[in-house]
Amino acid sequence: MAVDEGPRNYEHPAYDYLEQMPGLSLAMTTVDKVLEWSATNSLWIFPMATSCCAIEFITAAASRVDIDQIGSVVRPTPRHCDVMIVAGTITVKMAPRVKKLWEQMPEPKWCIAMGSCAISGDFYRDIYSVVPGIDTVVPVDVYIPGCPPNPDQVLLGLQRLQDKIRSQRDGVSTEPETRPETAKMILPANKRVGDPDRDPLLTDAQHDASRNLGVGTNTDRAKDARPIGAITEDEAANVRGTVDDK
Amino acid sequence: MSIYEQLRERFDLPEEPPEGEPVVIPVDQHVAFATALKEAGFTLYVTVCAAHFPSVQPKAKKGEEPPPMTTEAWEVATVLRSVGTGSETFAWRVRVERPVVPTLYSLFAGADWQEREQYDLVGVVFENHPDMRRLMMPEDWDGHPLRKDYAIDTRVAPWR
Repeated sequence: MAVDEGPRNYEHPAYDYLEQMPGLSLAMTTVDKVLEWSATNSLWIFPMATSCCAIEFITAAASRVDIDQIGSVVRPTPRHCDVMIVAGTITVKMAPRVKKLWEQMPEPKWCIAMGSCAISGDFYRDIYSVVPGIDTVVPVDVYIPGCPPNPDQVLLGLQRLQDKIRSQRDGVSTEPETRPETAKMILPANKRVGDPDRDPLLTDAQHDASRNLGVGTNTDRAKDARPIGAITEDEAANVRGTVDDK
Repeated sequence: MSIYEQLRERFDLPEEPPEGEPVVIPVDQHVAFATALKEAGFTLYVTVCAAHFPSVQPKAKKGEEPPPMTTEAWEVATVLRSVGTGSETFAWRVRVERPVVPTLYSLFAGADWQEREQYDLVGVVFENHPDMRRLMMPEDWDGHPLRKDYAIDTRVAPWR
């Protein structure tokens, strides 16, 4: 491949892959390097955007941050794309659809979990209808923390993905990215109904708390409300009817 | 003559409308009441809202016997709106001890998905509704999440 011998007037990633030979107007490279360069700089994105993180993602695609500068364009179909960015809370009803869309993407493919809802479910984690982390459904390569993340963090996350792809193509084994306390987050803080380890006191306390809402009485709700689980042994025994009323 | 006065004679309503809450109608007059309102010009179906009242033990006063347990009940509130100049809304509710209420789908086509949503979340069955399926939760979901005795955690095995 012939290149200009003159001084470099601008930076371009391609120069890192060309080996200039002194005294000659030729430089040589390998097909692998060209393929790697093209693979890492044409990451087409499928936005699996369900909520407010999507707004930050739109900003990342707009002119100020402009993820198009590293070759990432956004396509509205999974069949054209290499990267799925999960931006937003995924509900139990949505999770099978996410998996279906992920399976429609051609190999090789990568997944980015953007924002704390996609990473762990965040404060919706213990709600009955929310998936506690998208990595319980599809494998995740890069986590972008934040609630929501800045647009430039989205760019940084894509660059981390590029680094990961380069390492993979070079044959370097990469450590899978793990989110902190993965095990703790996959298991909800409260054991689910039907779990043999679930404390029966918890179910009683929940029913007691639902009775404690002051329905039909003139109780001061703020004064009488108790957090779920804040139930004394005596009260719990009363609920089960094992202690006589005194 | 306001719409309340028009309906008062026919449906045996209290003299004055209740302060700050919709008037309660017996469930067997529900459809007739909606029909009368529709004929009086309330043609826009705004919303339906169901609520669950669990069986509770009211707090006893000091030194007194605790009052008896309340019975479990469901309330369904419906809101209609008249269209045009002088537009106003009218709301009423029915209180039932079984979660079964006649549908208003035959009067207002807009009741279709609204009633499906209330069935999905609170579990009130709208009788004679042509398509009483879940709207928001997954089709095979167990239970109705907005009932007061619904545990806050899911019964569905882990997140599929």
